[in-house]
Amino acid sequence: MPLPALLLLISTLLPLAAFGVLLFAGRRLGNPLAGMVGTAFVAGSFACAIAAMIFWLSGGAGGPGQMAGAAEWGAGKGPIVMPIAWLPTGGGISQDHPGYLDVGLYVDSLTVAMFSMITLVALVVHLFSIGYMAHDRNFPRFFTYLSLFCFSMLGLVIGGTLLQIFVFWELVGLCSYLLIGFWHEKRSAANAATKAFVTNRIGDFGFLIGMGILFYHLGNVSLPHLHAMLHTAGLGGPVSLADGTKFAPGLLTIMGVGLFMGAMGKSAQFPLHTWLPDAMEGPTPVSALIHAATMVAAGVYLVGRIFPILTPDAKLFIAIIGCATLTIGALVALVQSDIKRVLAYSTISQLGYMMLALGLGSWVGGMFHLLTHAFFKALLFLGAGSVIVAAGHEQEMVRFGGLWRKIPVTAVTFLIAVLAIAGTPFFSGFYSKEMILRDAGAFSAYAAQSALNHGQSAGGYWLFFIVPTAVAYLTAFYMMRCWMLTFWGKPRDQKLYAHARESAVMYVPLVLLAVLSIIGGKFLGIEDLLNWSMRESSQYCTQLLAKDSGAAAGGEMKFAGFATAWPAHLPNEESLGEDEPVVRERTASQRAQIEGHHLVLQFAFWAFAVGMGLAGAVYWKGYAVAEMLLRIPPARWIRNWLYRGMYFDELYQVVWVDGIILGLAAICRGFDRRVIDGAVNGTAAVTRGFSGLAGWIDRWVVDGMVNGAGELAHGFGAAMRSAQSGRIRLYVMVLMAAVALGLAGAVLMALSG
Amino acid sequence: MSGLLSQVGLHHYLILAAILFVCGLATMMLKRNAIGILMGVELILNAANVNLVAFNHYRHAAGAAGGIRLDGQVFAIFVIVLAAAEAAVALAIFLSFYNNFTTIDVERATQLKG
Repeated sequence: MPLPALLLLISTLLPLAAFGVLLFAGRRLGNPLAGMVGTAFVAGSFACAIAAMIFWLSGGAGGPGQMAGAAEWGAGKGPIVMPIAWLPTGGGISQDHPGYLDVGLYVDSLTVAMFSMITLVALVVHLFSIGYMAHDRNFPRFFTYLSLFCFSMLGLVIGGTLLQIFVFWELVGLCSYLLIGFWHEKRSAANAATKAFVTNRIGDFGFLIGMGILFYHLGNVSLPHLHAMLHTAGLGGPVSLADGTKFAPGLLTIMGVGLFMGAMGKSAQFPLHTWLPDAMEGPTPVSALIHAATMVAAGVYLVGRIFPILTPDAKLFIAIIGCATLTIGALVALVQSDIKRVLAYSTISQLGYMMLALGLGSWVGGMFHLLTHAFFKALLFLGAGSVIVAAGHEQEMVRFGGLWRKIPVTAVTFLIAVLAIAGTPFFSGFYSKEMILRDAGAFSAYAAQSALNHGQSAGGYWLFFIVPTAVAYLTAFYMMRCWMLTFWGKPRDQKLYAHARESAVMYVPLVLLAVLSIIGGKFLGIEDLLNWSMRESSQYCTQLLAKDSGAAAGGEMKFAGFATAWPAHLPNEESLGEDEPVVRERTASQRAQIEGHHLVLQFAFWAFAVGMGLAGAVYWKGYAVAEMLLRIPPARWIRNWLYRGMYFDELYQVVWVDGIILGLAAICRGFDRRVIDGAVNGTAAVTRGFSGLAGWIDRWVVDGMVNGAGELAHGFGAAMRSAQSGRIRLYVMVLMAAVALGLAGAVLMALSG
Repeated sequence: MSGLLSQVGLHHYLILAAILFVCGLATMMLKRNAIGILMGVELILNAANVNLVAFNHYRHAAGAAGGIRLDGQVFAIFVIVLAAAEAAVALAIFLSFYNNFTTIDVERATQLKG
């Protein structure tokens, strides 16, 4: 086994070991020790991930990576693909790989980057939790769940097949459920957990449907094979399979949308986004790890993984959903008063950005934002956790204010995260968001140009640039508002302010994440890793295709999976090599990208300053200006509408919950009336009819026979009784007559015979 | 004597027995007195006896290979004994009947009527 794969496997299994230890010995280890054990295991996991990253970048230091005819692995060279045949299914994709449902490892630069990010955030959150959960009665249980979650999340990322991703997908869902409902004595927490779980189930049906379509047609769901077999899906035409059948683009679109529905549930995309704000009922470190940095990003990760097999229609759907989500999230975040709910809606909005990016073909942009967002959003949540602890478990910003004097480290690190998410230059969020907006601009420009060339109106495509750009201003505004209301101005609750105090054990995680939020954009080389990841996948699949078509096709086949993705680098930065996966209209797309770049510089560059400046001005003195605005009735209406999350919960309550309950009740009633009562009554009627028949038979046939026999005997007796006169002389006479007759007969017969 | 006797053959006895039988039968049918009926029965029985003895005499005694066989005579004696026993029982019944009905007219004895 190649060394990075082995290390990542160990990294995945260490939290599982921690889970095992904590499960059986957690109670005995007790309050700080259980947390330390969990943290130690995750630290080991992190160390393994970093080591794997080093070996990966050094490219092949662990020996020749030649599993299953793979290319040489290493950053920019090729992925490590290690399928393990799990369930025999019949059929098969090629001779050296008969029909099995595979599990297995798929390691490329994205995997390695995700591992480093997840283990790092997990480690930081573990550390933070030792402080945050210090006084909780169920301290060991918390770390047990957390360890299980880390294992599941890492298993998801290392998974080489959709099936394995799905299995771990459900596991992270379970952990999310357990941790949201960690304080299950609280009714709201238990409800939120159920809501998250059920909402995710809805998406998972889509996932299953998508996977079913793939499995039915291809007999396999392992990632590189999917990429290779469906690599032309992104071009929009029907896809020819190896056995000569065609995979219709409509079906492929349904497949893509189905898989995306899974991502919609996990990544809280509109219209399944309503569970994420409620998930804030869980402990804050959980919100940081699961509901900001890792699990909710799993949906984005999934879409990133299936990106090469998505049709243009599916991508457009993803982009539209992403666009709607980022708008809704940002608008609702504008007016929230609970600090965690602001962050939750901000997470929804940022996830919308990632989905939009992937939908528009900005693969690197989407995954880049996923990684940078993980750092600063985890920082925001941990900062919020620090504030909440300092404020004695108060989350309403109405009662905060002026806290920077009391908890300066939190205030500064939180501000750094705000700057990062707002897209301030040189902070990590700037680079990823700039890339997304640039590619959005490029897509809009390119699509609009194509539409004009075909004589169609092009206005709609510009929405994909205008909306995220406008929301970038809102993002800066609502994040700065959050910071201002929490840390600036005069304290609005003196008692709370007086008791506010920072806990030292929480410094380290905050500072560490703050540093990463600053350097994550340019200096960690995430962008390069992602570009390599695309190239690795392309090269591996090109080889796979060449091997499968073999001598028959003759020429070398090119992998078209990323054909609709924007080139990650502008052409003047790096000359495009021969094996660059772009096969369609390179120059036109590059021109569009340069135009996108200009658009971003023109319209979006100063978004951070405008948004944050405005927020600073409005909230300089706390709620004063906002309250003035709220005197205007329309503003108040809009504010209430947004404050309640646009009434999505109420809408779903009426349409789905009540609708389904009432509808089900009506159906059940009908069923009860018609079917069950019908069956009972029918049975009764049949029984009645049958017993009537039986009674008739009894009366007329059985009794008839008995009575008939009696009647017969009676009649016969009646007929015979007249002969019994009792007169003995008569008897004698009859006797003699009979004898005489008999004799006469006998004589006659003797004479005639 | 011997001449006369030699002219008497089996069929004479049979005719005699038949006359006796018919007389007895007629007595049984026509007499209303129970005692009369009993007499008729006696006549019938003795008709049978005549037959038995006659057959024994003419069939066995004439054609037998060795010794004399008296089967008919023995059977006749049995019948006489049985007739005596029957007469005794019948007379007892009649007595009992007379006790109940102060008559022995069989036309009155219709208790066994169906």
